[in-house]
Amino acid sequence: MERNPMRRQLAIMRQSLFDQGHVDEQFVQLEELQDDANPNFVEEVVTLYYRDSARIILNIEQALERKPFDFRKLDAYMHQFKGSSSSIGAKKVKAESTLFREYCKSGNGEGCMRSFQQLKKEYATLRKKLGAYFQLARQAGPVETASRPK
Amino acid sequence: MLEGKQNGQVFKLPKVILLATNITNVELEKAKAAGFADTVIMKPMRASMAAACLQQVLGIGKKRQAGKNMLNGSMALQGLLCGKKILVVDDNMVHQRVVAGALKKFEVAVECRESGKAALKLLQRPYCFDAYFMDIQMPEMNGFEATHPIRMMESKANKQMNGGMDEDSGRKGEWHVPILAMTADVIHATYDALNAGWMDVSKPFEEAKLYQVVAEFFKSTRSNCFT
Repeated sequence: MERNPMRRQLAIMRQSLFDQGHVDEQFVQLEELQDDANPNFVEEVVTLYYRDSARIILNIEQALERKPFDFRKLDAYMHQFKGSSSSIGAKKVKAESTLFREYCKSGNGEGCMRSFQQLKKEYATLRKKLGAYFQLARQAGPVETASRPK
Repeated sequence: MLEGKQNGQVFKLPKVILLATNITNVELEKAKAAGFADTVIMKPMRASMAAACLQQVLGIGKKRQAGKNMLNGSMALQGLLCGKKILVVDDNMVHQRVVAGALKKFEVAVECRESGKAALKLLQRPYCFDAYFMDIQMPEMNGFEATHPIRMMESKANKQMNGGMDEDSGRKGEWHVPILAMTADVIHATYDALNAGWMDVSKPFEEAKLYQVVAEFFKSTRSNCFT
């Protein structure tokens, strides 16, 4: 049990990310790669994910403005997005990506649009939660030093 | 180790390890029964599994001590992998970063490329990679297509070496760099791999055993994770 209240809050926040299904065990894999040599590995990879995702989401948005839908292209974009999301353990986002791809495969334009809206919602929620989590982690500081909370 | 020298090289036998998402037991059994993969691993890359399998492919060529080094924990693993050179080919930057992170933890020297084409440029000169991690679902050139030139180069070198003897066991030199295939769709990848001539038929029995050893290692590593 963490004596430092900030660390305890951080642990609770972390647990809720899992309990609410936002992240899966792949996120743990990222955490395991974080060490003294790479103290910010998780946040670095997640930041890379945001950059990558922003680009793909924009591509998809633009593609959805062109009628008729190019389902093959949409599916290709979503394949990329799913790959990235899965690499950081973004569970809900990944699930929504899968759904979108199924709509692409069946040529269901309406389904794609609905699914994409939902995906963007999940993605925004994830970013918010992870943002709060990393911010607290930075404030809580590394475990060894007795840093004063901001 | 692969060097640019003509004679006296230590060669390794080919190993293909398939990394896949959501593999079911049925699919795994199919892949193993097809003699294709000794090991099928989940994508996205898990640090412990990636390193463990890499160690196995690099270790098995020298002496047939499949299980011996594996169960001594990650310290042994680190020692064996330290200094190895790996090429990671994946068009997904996030996944590439995760794979590189996992390998670097074991002090592996990692090179990354985003495409098969870019990777092939690194092979223009005799390059000393110990293994390739290849995404086989890249749009412009899938991983199997990229490995074809690698195998061509190897077989050319082997033909030149024809008649040359390996100092260890007196067998003919066989230069093959292990290729670890990463995919989200294992069944199609298995069929494609078989068609591309990737199947390693030399010792299926040993490979099934190899999988078990790796799986055991993975299990024991995981149990240490949640402290």
